[in-house]
Amino acid sequence: MSFTTLPFLILVGASVVLYYVVPKQCQWVLLLAASMVFYCVGGGKTVLYVFYTAATVYTATLALGHWNTLKRNAPKEDKKAITAKYKPHRRAVVAAACLANFVLLYVLKYWNFTADLLQPAVDVLIPGAQIPLSELVLPLGVSFFMFQSVGYVIDVYRDKYQPEKNFLKLLLFVSFFPQMVQGPISRFDALAPQLLAKRSVNYTDLKYGIQLVMWGYFKKLVIADRTAVLVNTVMDDPWSHSGSVLAFAIFFYCIQLYGDFSGGIDITRGVARMFGIDLAENFRQPIFSTSLTDFWRRWHITLGAWMRDYLFYPLSLSKPFGRLGKFTRKHIKGKLGKIIPTSLATFIIYFVIGIWHGANWRYVAFGFWNGAIITMSLLLAPKYVQWKEKLHINEDSRWWHLFQMVRTNILVFFGRYITRAPRFLTAVWMVKETFLHPHWPDLWNGTLMTLGLTGGDFLVIALGVLVLLCAEWYEEKHGSVRAMLETKSPLVQCVAILVPLVVLFCFGVLRADYISSDFIYKQF
Amino acid sequence: MSSKKWLAMFLATVLFLGACVLGFNRLADPFGVFPGKALEWPSYEMTMNPRTAKITYLKEHHQEYDSYVLGCSSTSSFPVEALNEYLDASFYNMIMYGADMLDVEQDAVYLLEHYEVKNLVVNIYLDNACTYDQVSNPLSYSMPPETTGESPLTFYTKYLFMDPRHSLDKLAAMREDTYLTQSFDVFNAVTGAYDKKVRDAESIGSLDRYYETYPIFANYPEASYETTREAVNGTLESLTRIRDFCLEKGVNLLVVTAPVYADHMDYFDPQQVADFFTGLAQVTPYWDFSYSSVSFEPRYFYDETHFRNCVGEMALARVFGDDSIYIPEDFGVYVTPENVQAHVEAMGNTQPMAAEDYTAEVPVLLYHHIAQEGNEDIIISESLFRAHMEALVQNGCTPLFPEDLAAYVQTGAPLPEKPVLITFDDGYLSNYEIAWPILEELGLVGTIFTIGSTAGNVDHYKDTDHPITPHFSWEQGSEMVASGVISIQSHTYDMHQWAPYEEGKARENILAWEGESEEDYRQALSQDCDLIRQTILEETGEDAVRAIAYPSGLYDDLAQVTLLENGFDITFSTQVGCNTLVKGQPQTLLGLCRYNMNESVSVEQLLEWVAPARG
Repeated sequence: MSFTTLPFLILVGASVVLYYVVPKQCQWVLLLAASMVFYCVGGGKTVLYVFYTAATVYTATLALGHWNTLKRNAPKEDKKAITAKYKPHRRAVVAAACLANFVLLYVLKYWNFTADLLQPAVDVLIPGAQIPLSELVLPLGVSFFMFQSVGYVIDVYRDKYQPEKNFLKLLLFVSFFPQMVQGPISRFDALAPQLLAKRSVNYTDLKYGIQLVMWGYFKKLVIADRTAVLVNTVMDDPWSHSGSVLAFAIFFYCIQLYGDFSGGIDITRGVARMFGIDLAENFRQPIFSTSLTDFWRRWHITLGAWMRDYLFYPLSLSKPFGRLGKFTRKHIKGKLGKIIPTSLATFIIYFVIGIWHGANWRYVAFGFWNGAIITMSLLLAPKYVQWKEKLHINEDSRWWHLFQMVRTNILVFFGRYITRAPRFLTAVWMVKETFLHPHWPDLWNGTLMTLGLTGGDFLVIALGVLVLLCAEWYEEKHGSVRAMLETKSPLVQCVAILVPLVVLFCFGVLRADYISSDFIYKQF
Repeated sequence: MSSKKWLAMFLATVLFLGACVLGFNRLADPFGVFPGKALEWPSYEMTMNPRTAKITYLKEHHQEYDSYVLGCSSTSSFPVEALNEYLDASFYNMIMYGADMLDVEQDAVYLLEHYEVKNLVVNIYLDNACTYDQVSNPLSYSMPPETTGESPLTFYTKYLFMDPRHSLDKLAAMREDTYLTQSFDVFNAVTGAYDKKVRDAESIGSLDRYYETYPIFANYPEASYETTREAVNGTLESLTRIRDFCLEKGVNLLVVTAPVYADHMDYFDPQQVADFFTGLAQVTPYWDFSYSSVSFEPRYFYDETHFRNCVGEMALARVFGDDSIYIPEDFGVYVTPENVQAHVEAMGNTQPMAAEDYTAEVPVLLYHHIAQEGNEDIIISESLFRAHMEALVQNGCTPLFPEDLAAYVQTGAPLPEKPVLITFDDGYLSNYEIAWPILEELGLVGTIFTIGSTAGNVDHYKDTDHPITPHFSWEQGSEMVASGVISIQSHTYDMHQWAPYEEGKARENILAWEGESEEDYRQALSQDCDLIRQTILEETGEDAVRAIAYPSGLYDDLAQVTLLENGFDITFSTQVGCNTLVKGQPQTLLGLCRYNMNESVSVEQLLEWVAPARG
């Protein structure tokens, strides 16, 4: 069920009304019911995977919780013994829970990619043999709910909190419907208490929720869906376009991706807020990033945080990395020897983030691109300091800041070639075309007007992006735009309701890809 | 502003906007999903969604019909008028573009369950073996909930809250609507078929000209289609259910397969086609028109996948044993389980017809006035005219009447070896005094396109004092017709006026005046058609008046369509060239080219022009 469909709005509207009507102790049941409706309508039978994840996680965390309780209740002198006694069990359970989910995720999302990769080898070794392909339908939001659930298991393993003993309540944590499509990846201790809380109507929550949803729709419908028309037209047949048009399409893709993803997250967070639930922030003005590392702290924040807490730290603190650290410090003098293990862990993290996006060489390359740049910058950091000193660069100056932003956005821009091109090699070709055969006049000789958008659409996109940039800038410098608006007069606030609604209606509901009757029966 | 107030205002605004959209969409209803509305325009609505709009239309009009034709877009070309005649029924064409057999089944079940049905004609197109149960744009392709079991709430909500530009488009189209078919109103709501009045009025001639107009046939795109097990089984199962339901209800079921253009047929693996047709025969006997010599003739097709209405007429004539119209010998086989094997094997041997078996080349000569001295415009000297006629005789040419050409095209009647047409425009007295005797003497025949209003004007133009080249009278015309040498046909009654001599605005040709309303123009042209026909028939004793020469050679789509509707199905232009006639393709009788004959045309030139003549 897409966020932009009427059934979704009806589901949200009905759920919100019922949520505040039903007895308070049933409110979480209503959320669960709404989540099941959402998933069954949107994902059909794949709802079984949600149950599977919830069941594996539930079982594992109950066992882990039991051992945690034993340890906690044991006399001080026995704690160590108990810890040692159950350590293998606990490790086995947490490993089993992670494997149960990640193996399934692998089969669902990555098996066919691996099979294609291995098939040539199989052809040589066993001629005629075919590696069977998975025909399973990829469940809606599988990467999100599985990562969220695995994070919960690891937290319980770390004894951060007690496990949830009610399976249905845990099922609600796994399947809370607003975040099933695009995340964010929430933490149990932050989300579960909010899901289970008993609430009365809070008009401010409702207002904030609606405002956030409208902002999300603005980004998604007015900006992203419009830019998508041009992006799709070019990327369906990139070979027919000049380098400058390809670059322009990738530039639009950057806008589309941000509008679509962050807009989707705003809708998610807005809907949750209508139930009084505050979901984790997932974007924080990524355009103002000063480095690629900073970008990943601002873009898809919850994924980065998940990787940091559940992969980077365990990896960096693991014994093999410890040994590697000792080895590099001993054999490589200076700072370089110290940062090699961290750099390697960083590289692995970004590599995994790349693959997380999908099973394709493009994403492998995307991970490599990010990992390589960030690792390089880590390794070269001491040199940068020297260069900056030599060039007398003032790190606090506005221009240096601007340079860093532009540089980061250029790096992100070229990274997008990789993720949007139909194939990795096409991405390489596209970059080559951008530099070798740009044919710049295509940007002003009317070529852009043949790519599915009208002049009006370009104007809407330009104004939309301008509004977006202003809002982002304000939030970066001063804080919440919403809070600022609330200090204004009622008239301004009325306008702040009407204008967005009319804009949403005219440029969002009335889509750029509208097919008029003239196009329905072209052949007559 | 308090949050509560803010929310109230927000909700009020949303509700207001929602109500506006809902109200506007309900009022305009461009997809024809709601019966009874202020802005009713069935042909537009059927264009937007034939599946639903036709069912909606039938809710109010089903009493007018007792039989239905079902299938995808090619179904349109089985004319309901012919079916009505052959089966003494009242057919409605339910064609739905892009329909698969599930759509057809759902339509059939709805019709059989809700209305009294005498006959059901189901058309199967080869693509039905490739797709089944497919949905694309849901607004244009949605079947009504009565046929699918979809929740009416979901269905109607979709149309109530759709993009209101669909409704706005309808309003805009209302302003642009004309009598002629446009892309937004491609259906004839009364018959249910595509309204092909413009396409069926276009002049068709040589293959080269057709390739130029429709380059797709010259460079047919390469592709290959696979039939799929799901689609074949789905199609056959749907057809089985339709057959059984018809049996249960005592409804006459006729199954036909649509003609497929040969290059399109090449997309398919012959074995897969054979398997599909064999499976079809196990379900029900059917008339197979899919692959025959017709498939190789592009002039029998509107485009790469749609055969023309004239081909549909031939197909129905074959089904109902009507031998009054031309039908290629190999066109249409009644396939049963017994003969299906032999039939699919024979399909592999299908060949195009030789051009000389079904096409003819007919040059048409255009004379005007004959005098002692000719000029290089429209006057020819008597001596040269005689020389021309004698040359035709010596060259073995056989002059014909327009009626003979029509007989060739419509019934396949043979033409002589070197057919030509000798025509005269305007109706000058010299045609009577000079041309007629020469033709009679040499055993030739000719056709005079006369202007009704100036017939018998010898000295003056109509009732003015302006001098005129003398025109023959109706009595003289009658004499010529009676001789069997001359056929008198139309050059309009009074739509070839001489502007300087007319008081007020003159009608110099059959085109509409600038700014003239379509209705007024069509009325004027129709009245003129009636008047000239009536006058010629009454005054000269001519058998039939169905040919017209466009005054000044000018015409457009609206003029041609109006002429056809008024029974003028043989039309002559002043474009230069030889004419290609195609049996079974009546549009080759439209806009016939003519060579303008005057004093500058030597006998040698004439012989060069008539050289391609071939009967």
